Amino acid sequence: MPTIDSRSLDDELLTIRCQLGEAAGFEDLIARWHGPLWAFVRRLTGDDDAAREILQDVWLRVIRGIPRLRDGSKLRAWLFGIARRTLMDRLRDQYARTRALDLDVDVDEIPTEPPADEIDDWDGLERALQQLPLLDREAITLFYLQELSLNEIAEALKVPVGTVKSRLFRGRRLLRQRMSEGG
Amino acid sequence: MTHPTPPATLADDLRRLTALELSLPSRLGYVALLLAASAMSAIVIALLVTEPALPMRTSMALGVMAVIGVSWLIFAAWVLTRKRVLLGSHRIVAGRLAVAFSAVFVIGAVAVGWTTSKASPYAAAAMGAVMLSVAVTILARAKRQFARLSKRRDELQRLLGQEEDR
Repeated sequence: MPTIDSRSLDDELLTIRCQLGEAAGFEDLIARWHGPLWAFVRRLTGDDDAAREILQDVWLRVIRGIPRLRDGSKLRAWLFGIARRTLMDRLRDQYARTRALDLDVDVDEIPTEPPADEIDDWDGLERALQQLPLLDREAITLFYLQELSLNEIAEALKVPVGTVKSRLFRGRRLLRQRMSEGG
Repeated sequence: MTHPTPPATLADDLRRLTALELSLPSRLGYVALLLAASAMSAIVIALLVTEPALPMRTSMALGVMAVIGVSWLIFAAWVLTRKRVLLGSHRIVAGRLAVAFSAVFVIGAVAVGWTTSKASPYAAAAMGAVMLSVAVTILARAKRQFARLSKRRDELQRLLGQEEDR
């Protein structure tokens, strides 16, 4: 498994190749990131057609914005940040409904591993995830499923790290609750 | 956990979108528009500045043309920085085009001034010289940036290659 450092170097290299105008750089950017971005957008919209439309919009913003990305090692936070802003533009009402529920949580209360050992019904988990409020769903998706660090999520969502922890804590609790209700 | 699988055609759609967005001819079209608008503005402004005896209507018409020229210039610059963004290699091509065009413009304006003995071509040449110096600065900056990025790319490829060998 690649280390965080080599991941950052990979991201920086990919960014620079695109900034130089290498066609193969964009090919590799698509090959590397269209899957994770699709998974993120699809989980938040819950709909294939909407996800497809949003992803094309995300991609346009990526192509237009990549020359201005100063620190290529932050590529993943930047990409998910763009996806998040595009989602917010499309799902403004749903985001507005789930705002202002953040609370303070201690660092130690956030388990850093996905709750894989507690779960044997992955389809049920996917369904339960779809029922979470958007803000919690995006934090859970980015942290446990896309493996972004707390700092990267904070950067992508433009919120303090404490807020990310709060959403993860609440999302995890709600997820467990939904899972036990469902099964 | 399994991730939602992207539709089979999505990557191809994104590749097509990328190719369309990054096509060099469409960018060079806007570079040409920017250069043409700069030249037109320079000529019209030179006439306005050096020909005070022009009839009021003519001066007003020239004023409107100058505004149109500057508007096109701003529009092309906006497109090139926001919509059809220039990447490293594109910037060098665009910079070379701008230098060549501005140099030809300056030489042409001086030649017209020389043969007609009028002041307005020299005023246009002076503005062309400003365009040329801006173009040279842009080209030099584009080359520096390209060299810096290429150097960093080579370093990263070396570092990542070493890591894979371990």
